[in-house]
Formats: sequence, structure tokens, C-alpha cells
Amino acid sequence: MITSPDRASARSGGTPRTRRRGLSYQRWDELTGYLFVAPQVLGITAFVLVPLGLIVYFSLHEWNVLAGTFTFVGADNFERLFTDQKLAPVLQATAVFSTGLVVLNISLALLLAIMLNRRSRAMVVYRTIFFSPVVVSLVAWTIVWGFLLQDNGGINALLATIGIDGPNWLREGPTAMAAVIVVQVFKNVGLNMILFLAALQGVPRELEEAARIDGAGARVLFTRITVPLISPTILLTFIITIVGSLQVFAQVAVLTQGGPGTSTTVLVYYLFQQAFLFGRFGYGSVLAIVLFLIVLVLTVVQWQLRKKWVFYEN
Amino acid sequence: MRSAKSLSAVGLLAAAAVVLTGCTAPEVEKPAAKDVELRMTVWTSNEDHLALFDSIADEYMADHPEVISVTFDPLPFEDYTTTLTTQVGGGQAPDLAWILENAAPDFVASGALAPIQQTLEGTEGYDFSDLNESATALWKSDDQLVAYPFSTSPFVVFANDDLLAAAGQPSAAELLADGKWNWEDISEVGSAVNAATGKAGFVIRDFDYTTWDNLASIWMGWGAAPWSADGAKCTFNSDDMADAFEFIHDAAFEQKSMPGPGTTADFFAGEAAFTVTQISRASLLAEGGFGWDLLPLPEGPVGEYSMVGQAGIGVLAQGEHSDVAADFLAYFTNPENSQKLAQYFPPARNSQLNAETLAAANPVLSADQIADVVVPGISTGVVRPSHTNSAEIGQQVRSALDAMWVADADIPAVLDSVCDAVEPLLGN
Amino acid sequence: MKTETALRPVPTLRTDAAIARSKTSPWKRVVFFGALSILAIPFVFPTWWMVTSSLKPIADIFAFPPTLWPANPTLEAYADVFTLQPFARQYFNSLYIAVVVTLGTMLVSSLAGYAFARIRFRGQNALFLVVLVGLLIPSEVTIVPLFQIFNQLGLINTHWPLILVSTFGAPSVLATFIMRQFFISLPVELEEAARLDGLGRLAIWWRIALPLAKTALAAVSIFTFLHIWNLYLEPTVYLLSPELFTLPQALTRYTDAYGGEMWNVQLAAATLTALPVLIVFVVAQKQFVEGLAQTGLKG
Repeated sequence: MITSPDRASARSGGTPRTRRRGLSYQRWDELTGYLFVAPQVLGITAFVLVPLGLIVYFSLHEWNVLAGTFTFVGADNFERLFTDQKLAPVLQATAVFSTGLVVLNISLALLLAIMLNRRSRAMVVYRTIFFSPVVVSLVAWTIVWGFLLQDNGGINALLATIGIDGPNWLREGPTAMAAVIVVQVFKNVGLNMILFLAALQGVPRELEEAARIDGAGARVLFTRITVPLISPTILLTFIITIVGSLQVFAQVAVLTQGGPGTSTTVLVYYLFQQAFLFGRFGYGSVLAIVLFLIVLVLTVVQWQLRKKWVFYEN
Repeated sequence: MRSAKSLSAVGLLAAAAVVLTGCTAPEVEKPAAKDVELRMTVWTSNEDHLALFDSIADEYMADHPEVISVTFDPLPFEDYTTTLTTQVGGGQAPDLAWILENAAPDFVASGALAPIQQTLEGTEGYDFSDLNESATALWKSDDQLVAYPFSTSPFVVFANDDLLAAAGQPSAAELLADGKWNWEDISEVGSAVNAATGKAGFVIRDFDYTTWDNLASIWMGWGAAPWSADGAKCTFNSDDMADAFEFIHDAAFEQKSMPGPGTTADFFAGEAAFTVTQISRASLLAEGGFGWDLLPLPEGPVGEYSMVGQAGIGVLAQGEHSDVAADFLAYFTNPENSQKLAQYFPPARNSQLNAETLAAANPVLSADQIADVVVPGISTGVVRPSHTNSAEIGQQVRSALDAMWVADADIPAVLDSVCDAVEPLLGN
Repeated sequence: MKTETALRPVPTLRTDAAIARSKTSPWKRVVFFGALSILAIPFVFPTWWMVTSSLKPIADIFAFPPTLWPANPTLEAYADVFTLQPFARQYFNSLYIAVVVTLGTMLVSSLAGYAFARIRFRGQNALFLVVLVGLLIPSEVTIVPLFQIFNQLGLINTHWPLILVSTFGAPSVLATFIMRQFFISLPVELEEAARLDGLGRLAIWWRIALPLAKTALAAVSIFTFLHIWNLYLEPTVYLLSPELFTLPQALTRYTDAYGGEMWNVQLAAATLTALPVLIVFVVAQKQFVEGLAQTGLKG
């Protein structure tokens, strides 16, 4: 049907024989392309790139809000990175939080998806149940959990009925971190579960049947067939979950305010504290740059690794 | 892509220019006052308070037609100072603002507040010399008043006599008469109440194991202070402070006379026998609720003592109509209105710091209570500790103190770590 | 992978339920459903607690032993929700902002996604990378400069920052990504035919590409709506007057005059925030789930 042998123009929908007046069709098409992407590109420029530039600008100054002074301090704020004793615990807390969150989230999502991967009425009900926290307001969810995690709150009351003396969840370092992780996981795991369910449903049934007939046990089936076939989805959810975990703010702000001590002060919360609570906008901006770089590096690394971890059918 | 790059460059320059002009202290031009709308940020959303403010504002506007509205804008108490600071930083400062005494040093030193002394002194019938010296100490910059201390409220003890009776304990008045009105004995009584009824013994209101400066109402009894009088040296790890914290830790973990971390108890809902708070909370006492009494703070090892919390009203220099705002403040706090406000906010005027004035206006407290507890509390009270850079110091201390609130805490070590965390910040 | 599998006879298809019933012993099924139900508890319990506690008088909420069902249910907290703040107004704010942003994002992302997928223009890969940067930036990083920018434009304490940034900025990039993935997977022939008929890009986009993209658009709208509905930091920074607040912001403001939490009122407000969306989800969950599943995110 297409007379043009050009593969590229075939991909873009072919080149009709008519010519527009003035510009060639190619040029006109290009212009349309720019126009179509303009809203998004301009938006990103105005609301992401420009602010990023301003952040770098801020990081070179100290802004005393009340006194209304804005003074150039050069690299002073950056030097603070090296003398800040709180930075190492913050980075550690961030690493613990992100790792814990990703591991728990992905494995739970996978487990639930596998369990629910069958057609039946009951599964639909359970699917709804596990997905429901995703649609509940984040702040509402966190407030309810904060409430339940009090020493005399619902969780310990429940444990007391089976004779367990629950810890003071939000007031002890390890349990506070665990609590924040768990609250976030339960909120979002439903989303990943759905994505895995979709991926699992894309696994050809014949392969599974054939493998079973060949005598493969459940474990082999899982590791040799299922996982490789859904590995693109696993990678994508991994990336999204890790990047998301570095942006978790409301949970820490509502549940622990970074405490006890600094055990739950993740980088994003530390940034907020420095910039908005202590008024150190310069240092806060430096921390923002650090956060951005971490996210960038992690994403690039994961994207490069996809060639190694992801199994493509073709 | 060339066009995208040049676009971002232009955008960056524009934004930078815009930011720079926004960040320098603005040259305030005062246009002729006309159709002025004033906004005062407050932290109370109590209807009675707001109604009183509105009535005073209405009278002012009747006499000053150039002011067409006065809005009292309640901000949540919990992050009041942060919100106010954000408003100032974003160029959205109110015309007047309430200021907590722990934020006073920062605001007073920053130059964000417009000087008001001249306006106050110059207002007819204001009687500036009536203002109490010690009450205004915190609010002066270079010996000039920059904020008016409209509330000097002592910390007192409310006691739930019904609960005490239910636990087989003597009433608060009886404890006082028997010479048992001191912290050690109160803790024992509280412990007994907790054992008998499961409710809390005594609650330091608003402390909740986070807002540690409320513990000053206890440690002052040991003669302790968080930092030296000039604010330069950390004294958190002094012996007096260590003893005070021994008592507090003991009360929470051994005697269980104070609710432990993560447990809430609201005195005004009948869940505790005693609570330490300011008298303005008296409005929370439910009509026909439990039988209650009002007493001064218990004695500590150093004997009797009293603590006051203050709140000031300042005029923001950034405001467009700061001169009109200062004029309104003078009206708001003149002798007549000061007396009206006295029912909720004990004034800084010497002539009004007596039982008759305060009792006449106060609907909840009896004249005796005012005479015996409130007036002495104000006149001898020491202001709660405050320091510049209060937000960061507050957070660092809180963070270091978290290690205190476990059953087997090493108290001197924790206090040392507090000083380690805070020492660098005190020097500023 | 064995290529002979295609040649083996395929067993007759039975429903999973039938397979399950025949293959697994009743004991295994009990264990299975038991495990699922235990797993489900932390997902359901908080919502249950939220709803029942909102009906209890405040003293009962912390009572020990706790009750799963309110002894004296009262709607007092719900009345307070509306009297203490302009809650109805705030509900409306959240709703209309979410709807506007969702529609706007659908427009922006489908246009951009289509162009990146189908149109050839110089520098498109570079531009796409620029757009992707938006996916990597947490909003906390850009909030201070954005606040300054909107402040200079006089748009603080209006809804404009929320609407503009969410529609054109970082939050919509995921949507563009999804739409691009989807359009890449569309067969080219349909458009070729339209081109030969002389249709311009805009017409192709509107009349051919979009109608085919219903499931992807549905997924985009769900993601976007949920994201905007839950925004917390941005409204807190940009909005100063209670009548302009959105729901998550309003939820944290139910404190008494001295900062004490009014738990029953907060939980009532949280219930009112969560329940309608939850009910919509339960009713339309099939579309929800299938829409998400078909985003083509499988890679």
C-alpha cells in the first residue's frame, strides 16, 4: 500500500502524495510534533528545570527569612555536607528504609499476585481488599495507623487479646522504622500486585502446563519460567518503587517526625526539616541536589542492568 | 535542542531576577492610609476569644474609617511559628502577629518586627509607664519595645478532686494544708491514683515526650536551667538538671504517676488527677463536670517557685500599613481594652495585676483562686526558657532526649549528649 | 524453551476453579484461604477502625479493652467535621482540582505521547529525556523555588499552582510515558490509511489514535486522579486560607484551640474522605484493575 520505501516514514504513518502549501510535508509534520509536545516540554522546563537551576542558585546563598537577607556564601553550604554529623545517619536511615520498603513491597506484591492468579469470584473480592488502601487518602491512612500504633492503641490492644505485650511502636528506633515501612507498604502494594497480576496473565498457559507435564515442581516452575517471563514488569516496578521510596514524606511527617532520635529521618524529611523548619534554605538546597543525584544514579544503574536481569522472549 | 536551551536560559535569568528582587528587604512605601485591611495571625480558634477581639476591632473601626476590616486569622498552634515564618518568607506577612515566647528571641533579633514604642507612648491615655518591667524584658530590641506582651500567664496545677476521692486520696487543698504539696508527694499520690483507677496521676500538658520545654515547669523546682542566663553555655548536664530528670524518669517508668511515652491522657476529659498548664485552659473545664481545684506549682527541692509563659503581639515591618497596624495595636492594648482581655490573657500592666481586676473578668476562676494562685504566680514567675534559633535547638534537644524515654536510660549520659548536640547552636 | 510444546496436545480447558477443586485437598484450600484472610487483615482493619472509631465518643476510642463496634454510636464527630472547618467546600476543592488536572493531563500526555511515539522531529529523543527528568524529581526538591516563582506571580493562596504544576509538570510525565508506550504498540496501518486520505496529524490523533487508546487513557486518569487526590505537601505550602484547602490538608487541622488532636473528628473526616472513593472503586473495580493491567507497562 505504501509507495515510499522509507522505513522511518512507514513507522510514522506513511507519506501521502499531496504536498501542503509552503512547507514541505516533512516540515509541517515536524512542526506539529513540536506543537504536540510543547505543553509537556514547556511545563517541565518551567516547573522542573528552572526550579532545579534555582536550587543550585539557592545552595550558594544563605537566606535569613525573618531578617530578609540573602547573602552569597559560595561553597559554604556544600562544605557543610562534610561536617554534618547527622548526614551519615540520615543516609543510612534512607538506605534502610528504601531497601526494606522495596524488598517487602515487591515480594508481597508478587506473593499476592501469584495467590490471586486464578479466576474465581472469591479472588475478585480479595483483589478489591488488597487494592483498597491505594485509593484511601494517604494522610487519612497515615493518621489512622499513627493512631493504631500508639502504646495504648488498637494494635497493642489486639495483641493483648492473644497475650502479647506489644512494644511502643513509634517510640523505639527499630520498631518506628519498621512501622513507617509497613504503613507505606500496605498502602501501595495493591498497585504493584495488580501490575504483577497483569504480567502473570500474560504468561502463556501452555508453557506452564507443558512444564508441569514434564514434571517440573512448583519451585522450578516459578524460577525458570514465571519469573523470567515477567522480568520486564519486575524491573519496572522495582524502579518505580525505589524512586517512590525516596520521595516518602507524609508518613514520616505524620507518624514520627523523624524520631525517635534520627532513626526515621530519611533524606527527604531531613531536607524539609533543614529548609522549612530550621530556615536553612541554603543547606536544604544542597540536600535537594544530593537527593536528585542519588535518584539519578540509581535509575541509570537499574536501567543499564536491565540487559542483564531482564529476559526478553525474542 | 537550541530553542529548548535558550528557553531555559531565559527562564532561569528571569526567575533569578525575580527571586533577587523578592528577597531583599523591601523599601516600605507608606501610601496615604485608605481602605486599609488589617490581618492579625493568632493561634486561638476559641469562639469567645475571637468574639471579644472582633468587638474591640469594631469599636476601633467606628473611630477610624480608613480601616475597613480587621481579620483575626487563626493558625494551628502546633506549627504556628513555622507557618508565620513561611508567610513572612513568602512575602505574605500579616500586619500583626501573635508571637510565642520561645520564638521571641528570633523575631526580636531579626528586625522583622517594627518598633512600636513610640506609637504606644504617643497614644493618648495609653500610660506606657504602667507596663511591667520584667514582663517586657523579652520583647525589647536595643531597649525599644518591638512587641507587646499581651499575655503573661502563669503555669498552675488543676486538680481533679473527684478522681482523687475515688482513688482514696486526699483532695488537693488537703494536700496543700498538710504540707504535702511538693513534687515527690504529688508523684506518690499520682502513682496511687494510677494503681487504683488506671487513670493518669499527673500530666504535663502539651509535653507528650516531644515538646520538652514544657518540662521547665518541673525542673525549675530543682533550680535547673537548660542554658546559662546569657544563653551561651549549655547547662543541660548540670547536677540539678540530672536530679530533675531522675524524678521525671522515675515518675514515668517506675512509679507510673505520669503517663509513659505513647500514652495519652486528657485531664479535662477526666483522665488524670493533676495537670500542669496555663490558666487560660480553664475554659476547657466542662460545666457541671468533675469537681476541680486550682493550686500553684508544687514545691521542688529549692522550695516554692513559679513559671510564666508569655505571648506577644508584634507589628510586622514587611506589612504595607505598619503604621496603621501599630496604631491599632495601641488601641487593642490600651488600659480599657487590656482590662477586657484580662479575662483570658493576664496583662502586663502593673495597675491591673491584682485580684480584683482579674477576678472581675474571669468567668471560671474564683476570686480566691486568683488572689492565691494567679497573682502571685505572675508577680514572682520566671519566664519559660527561650533562645534564638529556637526551631533547630528545639529539634536537636528533642531528638537527643528520645534516648531518655526508655525504661533503662542512662540519664547523665543522655543529658551529656543533649549538650553535645546543642552546644554548637548556642553560640550563635 | 522447548519448541515441541506447540505440537503436544493441549488438555481440555477447565476453569481454574474446577482445576483447583479437583487438584487440591480441602485441607489445602482451608490453609490457602486462611492465609489470604490473615494477610487481608492489615488491609481491612485500619479502614474498619477508622469508620467505627469515628462513631464513638472521644473517650471510648482509647478505652481498654477496645471494642470492635461502638457501644453508643454517635454522629457528633461528623457534625463537628463540618462546623469546625468549611469541609464541604474543601471536599469540592479536592474534587474539582482532581477532575480538572485529570482532564488536563489526559490532554497533555496523549498529545505528547502520540508525538513522541509517532511523529518524527529533530531532537525528539533529547526532548524525551528532558521530559523523563521530571519522573526523577521528588516534589520536595522543587517546592521552594516553585513557591518563589508563584509568589512573584501573585498566585499564592490560589489553586493555580496546584493545577498548573500537576498538569504540565512532573506529575504528568508518567502519563506521557504510558501514552507513548501505548501508541508505540498500535499498528501503523490504520494511520497510514488515514494519511493517504489526506488527514492531518491533529485529526489522526483525535479521530483514530485517541479512540483506540481508551484503556490507556483510563489508566492515566486513574493514576492521575489518585495522585492529585492525595497531594499533601503542595497544598500545605501554597494555600493559606481554610476555604481553599484540599482534603488531606484539612484532615490534619482538626485540633482544638491548643493543638490537641480531636481524634474522633479527624477520623470522621478521614472516613468521609476515603469512603466515597472506596465505594466508587468497589463498584468499578473491574475497570480499574483492567485499565491498570493494560497500560502496556509490561515492558
